[in-house]
Amino acid sequence: MDNFFIQLIEILTISSYVLLIVGPLLICVAFLTYLERKVIAAVQYRKGPNVVGMFGLLQPFADGVKLFSKETIIPASANKVIFILAPMVSFALSLVAWSVIPISENLVLADINVGILYIFAISSLSIYGVIMAGWASNSKYAFLGALRSTAQMVSYEVSIGFVIVCVLLCVGSLNLTDIVMAQKSCWFFIPLFPMFIVFIISALAETNRAPFDLPEDESALVAGYFTEYSSMLFAMFFLGEYSAMILMSSLGTILFLGGWLPPLDYYIFKIVPGFLWFFIKVGLLLFVFLWVRATLPRFRYDQLMRLGWKIFLPLSLFWVFVTASVLVFFDLLPNPYG
Amino acid sequence: MVKTMKWILNRIKYFFLLDIYKGLFLTFRRIFKPSVTINYPYEKAPLSPRFRGEHALRRYPNGEERCIACKLCEAACPALAITIEAEEREDGSRRTTKYDIDMTKCIYCGLCQEACPVDAIVQGPNYEFATETHEELIYNKEKLLDNGDRWELALQKNINSDAPYR
Amino acid sequence: MKKVFVNEQEILVPDSATVMQACEIAGEEIPRFCYHESLSIAGNCRMCLVEVENSAKPVASCAFPVAEGMKIVTNSDKVKKARKGVMEFLLINHPLDCPICDQGGECDLQDQSLYYGKSYSRFEENKRAVEDKNFGPLVKTVMTRCIHCTRCVRFLDEVAGTHELGAINRGESMEIATVVEEGITSELSGNIIDLCPVGALTSKPYAFTARSWELNHHDTIDVTDGLGSNIVVDEFQGEIKRVLPRFNENINQEWISDKSRFSYDGLNIQRLDKPFVRNIENKLTTTDWETSLDKISFLLKQYNSNQIGVVAGSLSDVETMFVAKEMFNGLGVYNLDCRFNGSNFKIETRSDWLFNSKVSGIDKIDKLLIVGCDPKREATVLNARIRKRWLTGELEIISICAPNDLTYKVENLGNDIAILNNADIINTIKDFFQNSKFPMIILGDSILSTEEGENIHVITKKIADSCNVIKEDWNGFNILSPYASRAGGLEVGFIPTKNGINAKQMKKKILEKEIKLLFLIEADDFDIGEIDNESTKIVYVGHHGDKLASKADVILPITAFTEKKALYINIEGRPQFTKKIIQNKGLAVDGWKIFRALADKLGIKLKYNNHQQLLDRIFKLHPEISSINEIVPAKCLKSNKSIPKIKSLKSSFLVKNYYQSCPITRASINMANCIKRFSKKEESIVNG
Repeated sequence: MDNFFIQLIEILTISSYVLLIVGPLLICVAFLTYLERKVIAAVQYRKGPNVVGMFGLLQPFADGVKLFSKETIIPASANKVIFILAPMVSFALSLVAWSVIPISENLVLADINVGILYIFAISSLSIYGVIMAGWASNSKYAFLGALRSTAQMVSYEVSIGFVIVCVLLCVGSLNLTDIVMAQKSCWFFIPLFPMFIVFIISALAETNRAPFDLPEDESALVAGYFTEYSSMLFAMFFLGEYSAMILMSSLGTILFLGGWLPPLDYYIFKIVPGFLWFFIKVGLLLFVFLWVRATLPRFRYDQLMRLGWKIFLPLSLFWVFVTASVLVFFDLLPNPYG
Repeated sequence: MVKTMKWILNRIKYFFLLDIYKGLFLTFRRIFKPSVTINYPYEKAPLSPRFRGEHALRRYPNGEERCIACKLCEAACPALAITIEAEEREDGSRRTTKYDIDMTKCIYCGLCQEACPVDAIVQGPNYEFATETHEELIYNKEKLLDNGDRWELALQKNINSDAPYR
Repeated sequence: MKKVFVNEQEILVPDSATVMQACEIAGEEIPRFCYHESLSIAGNCRMCLVEVENSAKPVASCAFPVAEGMKIVTNSDKVKKARKGVMEFLLINHPLDCPICDQGGECDLQDQSLYYGKSYSRFEENKRAVEDKNFGPLVKTVMTRCIHCTRCVRFLDEVAGTHELGAINRGESMEIATVVEEGITSELSGNIIDLCPVGALTSKPYAFTARSWELNHHDTIDVTDGLGSNIVVDEFQGEIKRVLPRFNENINQEWISDKSRFSYDGLNIQRLDKPFVRNIENKLTTTDWETSLDKISFLLKQYNSNQIGVVAGSLSDVETMFVAKEMFNGLGVYNLDCRFNGSNFKIETRSDWLFNSKVSGIDKIDKLLIVGCDPKREATVLNARIRKRWLTGELEIISICAPNDLTYKVENLGNDIAILNNADIINTIKDFFQNSKFPMIILGDSILSTEEGENIHVITKKIADSCNVIKEDWNGFNILSPYASRAGGLEVGFIPTKNGINAKQMKKKILEKEIKLLFLIEADDFDIGEIDNESTKIVYVGHHGDKLASKADVILPITAFTEKKALYINIEGRPQFTKKIIQNKGLAVDGWKIFRALADKLGIKLKYNNHQQLLDRIFKLHPEISSINEIVPAKCLKSNKSIPKIKSLKSSFLVKNYYQSCPITRASINMANCIKRFSKKEESIVNG
């Protein structure tokens, strides 16, 4: 009996942890959409949303209400089960990865020692959501969009993989907390600057953001793999996409910008709690996402693939080689066990 | 030699994404400039007297409709939005029995206004005539004459201010 | 031939040519208002000014004859300036009301002021205004627009021959006006609308209904008389807006009669659009095709073949009559006739019913005998052609039983056909035709429909034989029928064969109640008087609910000539097609399809299923009508019958009701307005 209660309490505790992560995350997503519109508007001398609430702050919620109250349309020729399942998979996977993200020291749901591999696996899985949506819609635009999206994500995962290998070579551990702690003296974006750039660009591609938003190329594919989706099913894709963006930004923060660590080891910087540093850094990276979107036009598909396979892959491979050589040559190999 | 140098410089430029940074910097600077948006329902931009908005059929000051059913506007209309049917009125004058404009076909080019020999069909300064149904946007003669009565002062002013340039 | 130079281009022109004709041969366009090819030269608009060498002033090219070696310049600055000046003068008093003018868009003045005129006027005084004249119910006048080209005056003087218009006053007060305040009575009055280069004379029924640029033009032919005049039907949004003549030198040249031009509104009025069947309560009720055809096949099976009669009317096309003939002959019914007016004569060859000398043959005849017809009202355009020939002074005309107001001088030998029994008269005619190169006899279908028709035909043929009217290369013996269907019906043999009886005999049999089932194919003019529905069932096939439709037991709607492609054969034996211009009304179908469907119901095998196959079949059986727009000349046999005695029959065969001669014209409001006008006029003459 006691055992049962203990288990129950444990489950409730974990559930409340999960809620503590998911709740703010969704709110962040909501304000990310608001931020995106505001940033792009500012770049284009416009005002952006400014009617709902103060400065239009409630706009995302109005949008949410709109999406909620809309009718869910399922195409007659669609495979209904997979059609409904696809956005759920996409959304769930983008949330699941958050379980290993350390927001601050010890502020992590599951501090597992293969964290980076876990994230890598989850983000690879999210391709399934896309391809299920494209296939189940039974529509040419959705199908072509899904094919593009899949090919693109698979291609850039390769270079992201090598980028992470570089970082891992420097850290010697797969645990995300260890990775952050390893940057105490120097954030990795300084020694691994080219890899940092490759990572950001690959992250743009991985999350299907501009200028690599070919899967949802309006002029060619209507809206890509979620062409046939509406109302909440669409909203789930939307939330999934934006939380993936935040996830990639946090990953970038953890891998290169020293996670929750303050920029310098001075007292003044230490007053600010670690999770705030984390949020600031994530926010900066997210701003880069939006900034790039407001600046650059969309790539052509063959250019995208050429960039992925013919430039990033050799470059990152070469940098893995360089990093390893430097580490071995100067005998700087980390030894976490020693 | 110069060519090779240029080539090398270009490669370097490409490799270090210098153009991209330049572009990013440009857009970043823009963020801090004031926006030009007009807060539409509360603020409105000034209109030219030549503005081509909603159509109206005008009348003479004595209340007689101007349109004489010459069908030149119908012939001029590139979108085939205007439909006119004419008949002899009891007093023997040539008048329309039907003057329809499909505002959803109209491309607001102003050729009808140009074609009209009696300044009957004009495009007024009104652009706020959205409706909930398609049917409401198919204007008949009654609606157009009503528009004319409603906007007559503005229409007359616009025509007068444009007159010196015609 | 004379050699002249037009803009330094050397050309040869006929001796009698004018400068304008020379320029046209050279391909130079000369603007003009008053000049018209078919009318005399007036030279009063001065628009056609050109420069001629050694002439101080520009000359009016339409009235100036060419001289050997003449040097003409049409594009010099002087000519352009002269044209501009003339144009400015013409526009001084012309109102700027193009937007409300029906001529707008097809106006000579508009076009020419664009090409040759100035873009402004220096005239600052008051413009002239002229009171509109009453030209009758067909022609609308806005006399302020008149530029005094006098084309209309000359047309009525020369072509129509009614001398009803003239110019009164002079100078600025000059006005075109009718001689008497009664409008124009000519049957060709509509043509002055086409002739008017400005909008002074426009069509009253067409007034303000459409603009010239939005009309679709369709070439077709007219069926209101036997001539088969070529017309252009202007259609807009599925409605016929007006009818214009189409130039055909062989038939109507460029004129058409008022009946052809203005009866189009009848095509929309009183139309049959559904089949009707008379129910038990003796009322006609609408039904569908299946029921009505079932009812007809039931009726057809009920009666013997000699109790059934079939009559075709004046608007039937060749296809309908051909299929009806094949179907009824298949049933064993031979009481068929297309001569609904009862005209009756022995038919031996095609030349017995055709206008053998062709309409264009009129241009060379020198002697003409008119027997028992009224060409002015039965074939108006043909009559104008006779007048044109007569005006040359090379034509003498005598007549028997014909009206006196034929617009040319006719010596009437008498209005009793029995005078043909008189040897003196025969001798007079023989003397008349002596030494004639191209003699012509026109025998009216009207007189052939009388009791004596058959004898009159024989005796006229005899006269033709004895007076040498029929020669090796010239056949001057002509029958003039006012009905569009007549020649076609006779060509495909829609006449009684074997033991069948003709329309005249059918009439008698109906009164004797021996014809029990009567098929009327648009035959409203088949005069059967009061008919007893009990004893005679009537099946009416037609497109208008006209005279006899209300008496029918079954009514089948068919298409009118503007709604089908159909073959008509004019009085000369010239096959021509109508064109499908507007949609069928309601459930109406082409006439031949009804009989084709009935044939299937009755088990009669016909080998054609569509219009082309049907035409192939008709042309195979009747090769003489297979070449469209071409006439296959008919052989003429000498009559070997003895000369019969003719009973006395007094009439001038004047057509009383010119405007209403077929279902379409009877339905037309325009035609009714004309009738109203003329009945009023007659009253006023009687009263005054």
